[in-house]
Amino acid sequence: MGRLAPWIGGAIVLIALPHVFSSGFALTLMSQIGLLIVFALAYNMLLGQGGMLSFGHAVYFGLAGYFTIHYLNFIYEEEVPYIPVTLIPLLGGLVGLFFGILIGYVSTRRAGTTFAMISLGFGEMVTALTLVLVAIFNGEDGIQTDRVIGEELFGVTYGPNIEVYYLIAGWCLLCTLAMFLLTRTPFGRISNAVRDNPERVEFIGYSSQRIRWLAFSLSSFFAGIAGALHAVNIEHVGFEQVSVLQSGLVLFMVYIGGTASFVGPIIGATLLYFLQSTLTGVTEAWVLYLGVMFVAVIMFFPGGLAGLITMHQPIWRVHARLLAPLLIPYTRFFAALVASVLGCIGLIEMLYFRSSRLSTETELVIYGIESDPFSAVPWIVFTGIAVAGGFAVRKTLPSAVSAWNTAIADARTLPRG
Amino acid sequence: MALIKLVRTFAVMFPVVVVAFSARGADTVKLGLIEPFSGPIAAVGRDTLEIFEFFANEVNQRGGVLGGRHIEIVPLDNAMNAEKTTQQLRKVIDDDIRFVSQGVGSNHALNIIKFLQRHNRRNPDQAILYLNHSAVTTSFTNELCSFWHFRFDANVDMKVAALVTQLGRDSSVQKLYMLNQNYAYGQAFQAAAQQMLAERAPGIELVGDELIVPFGKVLDFTPYIAKIKAAGADTVLTGNWGPDLVRFVKAASEANLDASFYTIYAGIPSSVAGIGAKDGIATRLKQVTEMHENDPLYDQQPAELLDTYDRWRQQTGKSIYSERMRWTIEFFAAALDKAGSDDPALVAAAMEGMTMDGPAGPLVMRGEDHQIIFPMVISTMAEDLERPYIYEGDNYEVAFATDGWIMSDAIELPTSCEMKRP
Amino acid sequence: MESFIFAMFNGVLYGMLLFLLASGLTLIFSMMGVLNFAHASFFMLGAYFAYQISEGLNFWAALIVAPVIVGMVGAGIERWGLRPVHRYGHVAELLFTFGVAYVIEELVQMIWGRVPVPYEIPDAMSGALFTWQGFDYSIYRVFMLVVSVAIFVALFALLTYTRIGLIIRAAVSDPIHVATLGHDIPRIFMWTFGFGCALAGVAGVVGGNVLGTEPAMAIQLGPIVFVVIVIGGLGSLGGALVAALIIGIVTRLAIFYDYGVGSLVLALGLEIDTAGMLRDFTRITTAQVAPVLPYLMLVLMLIFKPRGLFGTRDV
Repeated sequence: MGRLAPWIGGAIVLIALPHVFSSGFALTLMSQIGLLIVFALAYNMLLGQGGMLSFGHAVYFGLAGYFTIHYLNFIYEEEVPYIPVTLIPLLGGLVGLFFGILIGYVSTRRAGTTFAMISLGFGEMVTALTLVLVAIFNGEDGIQTDRVIGEELFGVTYGPNIEVYYLIAGWCLLCTLAMFLLTRTPFGRISNAVRDNPERVEFIGYSSQRIRWLAFSLSSFFAGIAGALHAVNIEHVGFEQVSVLQSGLVLFMVYIGGTASFVGPIIGATLLYFLQSTLTGVTEAWVLYLGVMFVAVIMFFPGGLAGLITMHQPIWRVHARLLAPLLIPYTRFFAALVASVLGCIGLIEMLYFRSSRLSTETELVIYGIESDPFSAVPWIVFTGIAVAGGFAVRKTLPSAVSAWNTAIADARTLPRG
Repeated sequence: MALIKLVRTFAVMFPVVVVAFSARGADTVKLGLIEPFSGPIAAVGRDTLEIFEFFANEVNQRGGVLGGRHIEIVPLDNAMNAEKTTQQLRKVIDDDIRFVSQGVGSNHALNIIKFLQRHNRRNPDQAILYLNHSAVTTSFTNELCSFWHFRFDANVDMKVAALVTQLGRDSSVQKLYMLNQNYAYGQAFQAAAQQMLAERAPGIELVGDELIVPFGKVLDFTPYIAKIKAAGADTVLTGNWGPDLVRFVKAASEANLDASFYTIYAGIPSSVAGIGAKDGIATRLKQVTEMHENDPLYDQQPAELLDTYDRWRQQTGKSIYSERMRWTIEFFAAALDKAGSDDPALVAAAMEGMTMDGPAGPLVMRGEDHQIIFPMVISTMAEDLERPYIYEGDNYEVAFATDGWIMSDAIELPTSCEMKRP
Repeated sequence: MESFIFAMFNGVLYGMLLFLLASGLTLIFSMMGVLNFAHASFFMLGAYFAYQISEGLNFWAALIVAPVIVGMVGAGIERWGLRPVHRYGHVAELLFTFGVAYVIEELVQMIWGRVPVPYEIPDAMSGALFTWQGFDYSIYRVFMLVVSVAIFVALFALLTYTRIGLIIRAAVSDPIHVATLGHDIPRIFMWTFGFGCALAGVAGVVGGNVLGTEPAMAIQLGPIVFVVIVIGGLGSLGGALVAALIIGIVTRLAIFYDYGVGSLVLALGLEIDTAGMLRDFTRITTAQVAPVLPYLMLVLMLIFKPRGLFGTRDV
């Protein structure tokens, strides 16, 4: 029962969410997050579990999307057998699997940097081809469809966004469960072993290349499902979906979320896409923040956000009250961190405003306060906050670290329960 | 429930940084502007926003629309990404905005047209009208035409028609070389040019016709220049834009290619800034536009309009390079007043067949396909003109001088549109 | 024939520009094991610095000063960014440079704006050096060729005949041994990284005014440089030179001798499908796919000879 709890909880959250956030914007956002979770988890089957860094995984996501849209259009013209939209993602998955088997055969023969370079090469080639082969990909314009192809069970047409949301939520839960169970199979374990020590894997009689190929194909299958869901949600697919930029985005999501834990990609996809969608309308500097965030994660906590959670797992497993002494040092540290970050954001926003302000933009409001980037006061204030925050971060960090050290030492000495 | 309330409060508090705009009022007519305001080509989107803000403000200063209501421009960032465009359209529906405009990227335009066709059919009471200010794919006003779409820019075929007509007039043009980007737009340019050259300028010999991989993938254009030289071309016709235009022209100038360049997009800020005066003049760089600042007809426009232009230059430090965006606002305001309502269906009906005075002849919004028809002007980059090109306060010390006007009858092309009206 | 020679000249020239970029990258990689994704960003910085300096002073000052500044920036990023990441492994280092590329691009946009800057060829060098068979060989292009060849020779001499070169080559093949001999390996890493970035900076100074100086230039050039060093064989300067020249020349000749798939199909006596979904395949010509050819070469090379042309170890 305890094992099932997170899944049931997740299902309840997915069912309840549209009742809390019911606007069309929120529904699209949550739908996109749902399918990006599938994509990010699929990507982490490569990066986190298989140790393969890919710069071209959007190829399988995007190609499945193109195929799905064509298939839906062909259903209209009655040129292909009817498949209900509910099952269309499976078709996308098979497309991803097909290309995964094909391209995976040549690219997984080696791991490490060779693999990364080949994936980059394929990514660039496929992106270029989408622009050249107009009949299939329709170049820059991409291709469109209408997802309403007929009534399905219980009168569902997938016209209203809410129905598409539940379609994506269902598939998201299903794929997440499937991918989770995969990590528990012998295949999942041996995939980890190939990541950590391919030579030994060879010694015990496995072909590490075969394992990589299998992991790659399965990952492409799930990426294909995500791509098909994307096609159904947006009813359009274009070259952006196969491009190296899309591959880079999923890499950012997975890495910031944390590659070592299963929930990492889920956290990363949710957080990044939410921030991206809400911040793009608010600040021009969004891409800079994304880059800085990514660099900061690599430099300071390579375990990602999930890593921050899992490092406390051994403590609360023993007893939750051991976390109590952490509260004060952590609060002080985070307060300092937030202050310095807020100061820096203020400075960056004012820099952007000065460098690319439109003449029709009259004032800059930061944190609800009107700040005039052409007078000295806000510069002094924000610099002060940033510098003071920075100093405070350096001061409070040691006590936060030592609090954690003490707690983990206590947890090791105390018995469970 | 407390948790839900907390989450909602957080969601409302989230926009910590807000850039305020001049017009914000309660009872406004909202026009959503979906463009890239972040990412690599944010400059184009932000320039568009500035023009829309400025000229909407002009309308508001004149007394607004519908007896005193103001036009409010609502910027919606699509980051040049198709899924973001769809997302912003859903936000438009949420916020009950009934008019949207867009123009950067024909893929997004196509997305909007298709989206609104579905939405307006499913929700006739919440119909949304799309004013396309710059997306030029011809099919939008042909087989893909929609009652809910109006275009304020000439389509590719019309622009090519203008360029080819001018080529036919220019007796120095003997051997022509065509080079275009290999994607939907470039291929459409190529096909239209091939057809119209045969019809309108049969004396010109087409000595080369080339498609290149688009979007900055070609880093060095010298091999193409060598081919053009080898073919003995005296004129180049290209629909290229962005780095594909900048590098092409710079490579030609550097190799001392003696040929004139007929283009569409030489006059937009990134082209002028990237190409620069020296290379632009060396290649006798030409553009086709609706108007430009150094045309003899410029000074003959109404005094208050010239006044507005002066204020624009002063306030923004930018030249006027796309009149069509001003027209979009003016037609929108006039159609609102003519319809006497902000119901999109009525506004659309009022806009059909509407005319306005342009610098060289009337601007006509053709009713049968919602394509604007107007005279166009071909101009060549030159020095020592009255109003040199400025952008963000920088003076580029060149501008464009008129070669000739192409009147509406030479540009107006038949349409295959079979409009379905609600 | 005359056009063939012109195309070859430009192929060699473009190849040498790629070599300038690739040489720094391959030095960095072979020594530190880091594939520097931000390498093309340093190329971009070189171009922007050169623009700024030539606005204030002149091109010649830019040619000297800009690469030095780029090298300093690179060394700084290595010292305070990359070195702390080193202990998390090569993938983390690679991802770090990937993130740096994003940040540099945004910073460039913040400082110099999002439209191209007018970085021009100096007036003294515009115009043709000589005209041969109807083709102009411009002074500036010849100058670019001279600069890149000079750097290749200097680099080669530095690595072969000087003590620093000896240490660097030793550190490339066996860093641990070199460290035990008392050399400060982290410092050598830092200066190598800076030096590699400075080479990219030189390429930016001489190439920026020809290719156009704009924020997207790094993204457009970056992947090609990887292709060069992988095909040439990692760690091999000679390999990088040969691969850069091959890519430079092949992509140019593909444009020049424009053969299409369609003509091949016709030659085989098959019928061309002009209406179906696959119709575009028959329309593809070598010129259209020229920019994609390097990637095709990369994939084929990695599949059949993962060490590259002259590489001594796997990628």
